Amino acid sequence: MAPDQEYDALAVELVALGRTLPWSTPDSDLTAAVMARLSTAPTPPSESTVERVLRRLIEVFGHNRRRAVAVVTALLIALLATPPVRATVADWFGFAGVIVRHDTTPRFSSAPPPPRVDRRISLQQAAALVAFDPVVPTELGIPHGVEVSADRRLLSMSWTTRLDGHVRLDQFDGRLDYAFAKSARGAEFTSVTESFALWFDKPHEVVVLNPDGTSRSETARLAGHTLIWQYGDTTLRLEGDLNRARALTIARSTTALPSR
Amino acid sequence: MRGGNRDAYADLVRRYAPVALRTAALLGAGPDADDIVQEAFIKAYGALSRFQKGAAFRPWLLQIVANETRNLHRSTGRRAARERSAWERSAPLLTAAGADDPAALTVSRERRAELVHGIFQLSEPHRQVVTCRYLLELDEAETATVLGWPRGTVKSRLHRALQQLHDALARPADVVRDGDDATTREVGYGA
Repeated sequence: MAPDQEYDALAVELVALGRTLPWSTPDSDLTAAVMARLSTAPTPPSESTVERVLRRLIEVFGHNRRRAVAVVTALLIALLATPPVRATVADWFGFAGVIVRHDTTPRFSSAPPPPRVDRRISLQQAAALVAFDPVVPTELGIPHGVEVSADRRLLSMSWTTRLDGHVRLDQFDGRLDYAFAKSARGAEFTSVTESFALWFDKPHEVVVLNPDGTSRSETARLAGHTLIWQYGDTTLRLEGDLNRARALTIARSTTALPSR
Repeated sequence: MRGGNRDAYADLVRRYAPVALRTAALLGAGPDADDIVQEAFIKAYGALSRFQKGAAFRPWLLQIVANETRNLHRSTGRRAARERSAWERSAPLLTAAGADDPAALTVSRERRAELVHGIFQLSEPHRQVVTCRYLLELDEAETATVLGWPRGTVKSRLHRALQQLHDALARPADVVRDGDDATTREVGYGA
């Protein structure tokens, strides 16, 4: 091997070494300690500046408490085409391709089960169509429905099982897309293995965006319990009548398909 | 702070605490990692007004973590001893890791020990660049921000670090490192 190739091989080993390290789970005590210190600390350098910067950085990230009761979350799966815009915020709450926003319409009390995927192409066919490596949660077994959107950017699978009812999994290559996620009432931060994840316990609206970023109102639908996380560069969205623990179990069972 | 901003910042803390803890631990904070990270978040909040629009939060935060970790060791002893102690705090983390992690299968226990020993033989800046770039998987620009070096320096030190590591791994493990020599060669180092 030429020296440079040997260095590359060494770099790969070092990355693998780093990945064997256990990740500390987000420590609520640490967050609480930081927030407690900030609240008792002498006035920050300039409160208004801090507030302005926070607002600018996080946009409408904060909760509006007066409106909170009437707030629902609209979750948009943004399938934006070119050019790949990567907002700074994506790096913070990075869910490539997912936008979470507040909505002021009245809260929905319940949501129908997720739409079933009727087509059934093979996983290998699906893998050949999309530009990313599809994954399957082994916990759910072989999907009963598999389809790829016409623009080949979104792969959807569904299952109907006695244990979990109707469950749907959408996945797409997050690297291609504009990415933005906001904290919202009803959305909780959690994690799937070492990836940051969002759990939506409350019914919320889901809209698939046009490639130019405009929303297609006819695609809007109501979704129930949903977990969003990332697996490598793929963004995944699991929806169904699941509780949080079950959704996390399914998400953790996600594995790549055997290579094409 | 108003309620909304508090919640927003708390979410940032939750989001970035894991990577901040990992960075502190690997750069040698040892059991002080929690304190270092807490301090870093306090400082980051105080410095938000200096945060440049359009910059990424993660490397900026990790830079504060790296500085805090360095400060931890600044108070004690000569530099070589300090740097050695920093590494001694992070090395056990690397050798002990990965008992039941699938990723560990790609690097055997023996090989891991060799790699850790090899990293130990590097000078402090070379160790830092390897830590940031490979163990923490930061990109080149992030590494430059976190360590406070120009990007060219990141690139050249990384290359040199890989060379040295490669050579060290090719040799039997009987090389004794002279800590002072290894660190004084890097005149440009420091933050």
